[in-house]
Amino acid sequence: MSSSINEQIIPVLKASVHDVRHFTSLLRGVNFANRAGVTVTQHGLVVAVEEARTLLGTAYIFSDVFDEYEYHSESLKTRSLQHPQSQQDEEDIDIENTAFEIQLNTLIECLNIFGTAGGTGSSGSGKRVQLKQDDEEESSDNQGDNNERNGFRRQSNGRKKTGQGGNTSLDLFFNRSDRRTSMRMTYLGEGSPLTLLIAEDSSGPTTTCEISTFEAEPQLELPFDAKDTKLKVILKSSWLKEALSEIDPSCDKLTFIANPPEKADTDGTVARQEERTRTRAKPILRIRATSMHGTTEMEYFNDRDVLETFDCLEPVSFSYRFVHITRAMRALQTSVKTSLRIDGEGLLSLQFLMPAQRARREGTGHRGGRENFIEFCCLPLDEDIS
Amino acid sequence: MRFRTAIENPTTFFKIVQAVEKLQKKCVIRFTEENIHIICASEANEGGMQVWSQFKIDSLFNEYRIQSNNNNEITMNISAEALSAALKSCAPSVSKTYDTEEVVMKLAKKSDQAVLSFEIVGKTSVGRRVRVTHDVRIEVLKAIDVEKLREPMCPEPDIHVLLPQLYKLRTIVDKLKPMSEILSIKASNNGLFRISINTESVKVETEWRNLTNPKMAREESSQNAEEPQNSPPDPDQTFGVLVSMRSFAKFLNSHAISTTTIACICNKHCLILYVYIGDVAEAGGVLTFYLPAVIDDEA
Repeated sequence: MSSSINEQIIPVLKASVHDVRHFTSLLRGVNFANRAGVTVTQHGLVVAVEEARTLLGTAYIFSDVFDEYEYHSESLKTRSLQHPQSQQDEEDIDIENTAFEIQLNTLIECLNIFGTAGGTGSSGSGKRVQLKQDDEEESSDNQGDNNERNGFRRQSNGRKKTGQGGNTSLDLFFNRSDRRTSMRMTYLGEGSPLTLLIAEDSSGPTTTCEISTFEAEPQLELPFDAKDTKLKVILKSSWLKEALSEIDPSCDKLTFIANPPEKADTDGTVARQEERTRTRAKPILRIRATSMHGTTEMEYFNDRDVLETFDCLEPVSFSYRFVHITRAMRALQTSVKTSLRIDGEGLLSLQFLMPAQRARREGTGHRGGRENFIEFCCLPLDEDIS
Repeated sequence: MRFRTAIENPTTFFKIVQAVEKLQKKCVIRFTEENIHIICASEANEGGMQVWSQFKIDSLFNEYRIQSNNNNEITMNISAEALSAALKSCAPSVSKTYDTEEVVMKLAKKSDQAVLSFEIVGKTSVGRRVRVTHDVRIEVLKAIDVEKLREPMCPEPDIHVLLPQLYKLRTIVDKLKPMSEILSIKASNNGLFRISINTESVKVETEWRNLTNPKMAREESSQNAEEPQNSPPDPDQTFGVLVSMRSFAKFLNSHAISTTTIACICNKHCLILYVYIGDVAEAGGVLTFYLPAVIDDEA
């Protein structure tokens, strides 16, 4: 529409993608509050959403999510300076990035205007396909994971096996569906709206959206003290998802309790070597949910198949508001792997590795670029460490 | 006053009633010797929307018999919801325990109350015959009240355009609905159709191109406007109207029965939507939606 006027201006951001589903699913992962801060860098977009100055959800969307991604820093344009390559990294943080705020829900709704951006908003037919995929996926998934699951079941007193690897099924669904929404996004700079040009196919209708942007406000920062990491767990997202989905929504407090593996205590050897001996007398990680009516406790034993990494040198216990943890469920559900860390101050960092964009990379066969991920940081409840 | 007919096509009848039942609690049905008219013209309607529809008797009924003192016409007030519920049990569906064999609709009087009685004869899966009767209370309108029912007066529309498939339109309007209360509709004679919203936080505009602009011969008791169309219209000129988003969304409830829908715009005055049931050539019936313009400063 306005392109004729603006052709001369180099937009700050120009990005396009032929299928918005991956992009949308990354945005949906942090869509728990409407106002989101978007930081545009030359490597991609960082979308941050906060709640109650306690919870910060951040989606890292690297430029390779898009088919085309161009970023021209506003400050660079105005000063028309050429920075030496060595300073590049520093510049990234200090000057070059452009930030604005946007109503995230509106952005997602606009991307899904044809109902083909995936997720809950998909059309009826889409859902049917998806259900079918789930079944297929279950069988194939079971084959792959049989050993692992059976092993786990035996040793941990019959944990429920639901077999819903949501991610794989979604990916299959992505590949098969023939209707997809493509998008071109431009942002001209401060004060101008984020413009989206959306189309389903060449014969169909086209949609132009202009979403108002707001001046970026200082963002909540919850820096994780990596040097003071008390607990680090890496596990398949489904293991955490199943545990958390068991918890009744009426619970108000969630406590992570971790103990160093027993053998590590007595022998003083590194946990990683020890876990081959497979002693599981004591659970090394417990998730306790507390409500008005009682507590639920889930235990993870020292099993490499479940907890791929478990680094903990001294007993740790921190509590969080359960509602804040549930904000991360959406991202957890779509993710493949989860890294759960707690630092000395009790700050919880949940990093969800998002599935690779298979549909796009099928042809080339390589998985270049960085893996996209979503991070949630949450401050602990103020209470005495038990 | 006598009225009795077999409903040949209960599914279609049900879908038509479904399309209008959300609009208002009571609607007016007028049976004449040739047509059935379903009219929703209540003043209390959301945004002043009205629906006037007309279907050929042959397309829905057979063994149709009607007699009255008023030119063999019967006009009644009926609860749309109750009518829809009655027709639902006439129409065959997978969830039902019996197959419909015959449906008879007749005017009756039960304990001093005029009713439209639906007698359904069906057969269960084991072959037992079942008989279900629904009585829907009605109020027969007096001739003087019928006179008062007038289809809205509209000027000759500035433009006609054949709409894209309604369910696709509905997906989009469903997304726009939470964002704005007013929907802008524009069309031009070169096949352009555009719906858009414009709020403080977002502007969204969806446009279709290369749609058909049909030549309309207005079959209705054409209002006085008999302008000779000498000059060919400028194909790029757009005509637009702002309508209530909720009204437009309600019109889209008719997506289940629509085969062809034609939108007519009277610039900044009103939007008229003709929803054809069945093949247009057969002219089985048409639902006409009148949506008045919403007055907005930003227009």
